[in-house]
Amino acid sequence: MAPTGPRNASGNTRATPRASRGGISKRRAPGKTDRDGDVSMDAAAGSGPNGGPAAGRGGARGRGRKDTRGTTRASSRIAENVKNFVGGRDSVATSKALFNKVTLKVSGFQASKAAQNDDGGRRALTDFLERKASKDKKVTIGKSVMDKDYFWISVNKGDVPDFLRLTGFIMAGAPITVEETDEKMPDVSSTTLELKAKLTEVLAKRYNPEQRLLDLSALGTDEILRSMDVFSQGSRAEKAFRALLRIATDQYKTGDEKKEAFQAVSIARNDINDVGQVFQLAIELPRLKRLDLSGNNLDTLAKMSKWRHRFKNLEELHLTGNPVTALSDTVSELLKWFPNLQNLNSQQVRTPEEVAESLKAQQPTPIPQLPSNLRDGDNNVAPAFLQAFFPLFDTDRDRLISEFYDDDSWFSLSAMPGTGRALPWKSYMKYSRNIQQIGSRSASTQQRLFTGGSLIADLWKALPPTRHPGMDQPNQWLIDCHTFPNLADPSGQGFAMGLQIIVQGQYEEADLSANVFGTRTFSRTFILGPSKPNNPPPQHPYRVMSDQLTLHNWTPAAAPASIPTITAAPQQAAIAVPVAPQVVTTLPVQPAVSDDALKAQLIQEVSKRTGMTAEYSELCLSGTANWNFELALKSFEEQKGNLPPTAFIAVA
Amino acid sequence: MAILSRERAVQSSAEACENFINTYYKTLNEHKSVASYYVTNNQTYCNAGHPPADICINGLVLATPAEWDAMLAAQRQAPGSSTASSTTTHRPFPVTYEVESWDAHVINPDYRFAAPPALLVPDPSKSDHGAGIRIMTMLTVSGTVHFTNERDGESFKQHFNDVFILVPNWDILARHGKNAVKRYLIASHNYRAF
Repeated sequence: MAPTGPRNASGNTRATPRASRGGISKRRAPGKTDRDGDVSMDAAAGSGPNGGPAAGRGGARGRGRKDTRGTTRASSRIAENVKNFVGGRDSVATSKALFNKVTLKVSGFQASKAAQNDDGGRRALTDFLERKASKDKKVTIGKSVMDKDYFWISVNKGDVPDFLRLTGFIMAGAPITVEETDEKMPDVSSTTLELKAKLTEVLAKRYNPEQRLLDLSALGTDEILRSMDVFSQGSRAEKAFRALLRIATDQYKTGDEKKEAFQAVSIARNDINDVGQVFQLAIELPRLKRLDLSGNNLDTLAKMSKWRHRFKNLEELHLTGNPVTALSDTVSELLKWFPNLQNLNSQQVRTPEEVAESLKAQQPTPIPQLPSNLRDGDNNVAPAFLQAFFPLFDTDRDRLISEFYDDDSWFSLSAMPGTGRALPWKSYMKYSRNIQQIGSRSASTQQRLFTGGSLIADLWKALPPTRHPGMDQPNQWLIDCHTFPNLADPSGQGFAMGLQIIVQGQYEEADLSANVFGTRTFSRTFILGPSKPNNPPPQHPYRVMSDQLTLHNWTPAAAPASIPTITAAPQQAAIAVPVAPQVVTTLPVQPAVSDDALKAQLIQEVSKRTGMTAEYSELCLSGTANWNFELALKSFEEQKGNLPPTAFIAVA
Repeated sequence: MAILSRERAVQSSAEACENFINTYYKTLNEHKSVASYYVTNNQTYCNAGHPPADICINGLVLATPAEWDAMLAAQRQAPGSSTASSTTTHRPFPVTYEVESWDAHVINPDYRFAAPPALLVPDPSKSDHGAGIRIMTMLTVSGTVHFTNERDGESFKQHFNDVFILVPNWDILARHGKNAVKRYLIASHNYRAF
């Protein structure tokens, strides 16, 4: 692999960012350019002078080459070949960087039969030299340049004797001479630059900046291209196409720039009979909007199938003059292939509405989100419990424990820390029983499970203060609950029913240790079971058996605006709950909302409590209070003497 | 009545849940049916009169695990296929569930419903016979749902929160013991994805 290393490195030093890897040379590292270039020249020779692109390809395949490399993708090698001519830049930089390379020059091959090949025998000679030089080890030739006197090759220092030894060997009927030289390998760049300049000239004529159209139609008839030796050999419109495309797109660094610069391409009248011949277009310009393929020789859809999953943005396609247009299923198939296609052969084939529908089919369909689903056995236990629970959790956690927890209650929290949140995780992480992270056999799995009211109360004291939205704000909550059988009945051997409540939402958090305030996304799951007969008062018919809090590292997307609100008829709470006597009248129906909505509510609340205008309420909240409701009120109390009359809502 | 020690129950449930998560989400990600994970399709539970598994997906209650399978299949399918839009190709989206967090509580350490008598009677020769098996566990799992579009590699993400109530799969436990695969069944499943 030695030869490829330094050359790759040298390739990276070039000024052009895209270097030689992109575009035409996609499938090959730059290091192999020369050899593969030779291969493709040979392949070109096999096709004969009269072959069009297709004939050329067929010819190359049909020769039944012995070399396995010859049977691999000829088109890729053609690409390498063109790049070798057009790019050329590899060679310039490379020779400088290679300290452990020695230049050898080979002569005498001109008399061989191989010299009659289209490539002047480069490939045959390269193969010959490599094969003969390598007796016990693999020997490869690096860069090579052929001029009329010598075949210049760059080889590893250590391999020099193996090559020099080949002097006098007969290659295709002629004895060759290999000699070491201090001369610099001739630079191909002058030829290359000249070639590139010509191709650029071609491009300049063929690019229409107003229409963003690159017209690569009828390349075979282009005067400049015809005048160029490189393409006259084997007459490969395909090669010209790739080279032109490469030069044209090379100057644009990003896909967006390319998309802007090239919205339309015509490759009409190029005798294309399989889009594989111009496949590179889909690589270089995948977001093309208009494509003209008319006047080619595409006869079946199969000949276009290589582009089947390409050109997703294609809006307009011209195929007139191709036999494939006569087939009955062409239109329907092409519509399937190109979701954006609206205009085929100047006919509208799809309306903008249909395009929208078609594009929708490119998107996944997550399971639809429905409102809260409360099935708590018609006794309203869940809303009543939650109504009591969260205000107490925010204000008086000890009391919450004494109301609903007993010695057998379990609590644990699990956190998924992430990068996207402003709030720190430190306060939670040492208690996090995320078994995915700590492992099912870890001691923490036991230790971070808190059993019994007093332990749970101690833990809760260590957790940051919270402020949950009120239960009367249904759009802040998503609650599912249902009853289930087969809990152990605390009074004896029988089975008892349980109630599972799953709450998703967000709360405001004040991390006092870090003096940070913010919003936390959470899920909390409760299992409520029958109370033990001998629990101390206050005695509720149920108790919290299990309480799992999960803290998420993501913020839910804003809920769709038009989810209907379910309003339950006011009911008598089945159980006396310790807070406000009101019954839950509105069931939560929506996923938690964005921060903005929460802020709006805070503003409204502050405004209500202070009599300030919304604007001043917001100022008050967004200042040092940092959206902490209590702090905002406190700050109001301190500052209210200094506030202008305009800060308050005018009393009518 | 041999009630498990807390430590023993915690350990058993954690291992059982780990085993459950590994197999359940693997099945989901391989786009295979998960119906057999639910008590609904278990003969022993059906014969004993256990109600079908309570399955609530994004707020919608499903009658059978097969409906959940169908929902998952629909999720992998691009829309439009049902709206007779013949102008588009419909290739399934690989949907994968990535578990990032889970936690489990034993909510009944002496689960007896439909238990085979052999597992109820303490076996003096095996001091832990039945222990760590007859447990009912609540398991919370959350993570990311990845929707990948094969065509252009674009990916769409959701976050999910699954809550399961797991009960012993008596048939498997009686036959293969407590290290068997799929030794717990889903009695309740709540899914929310955002």
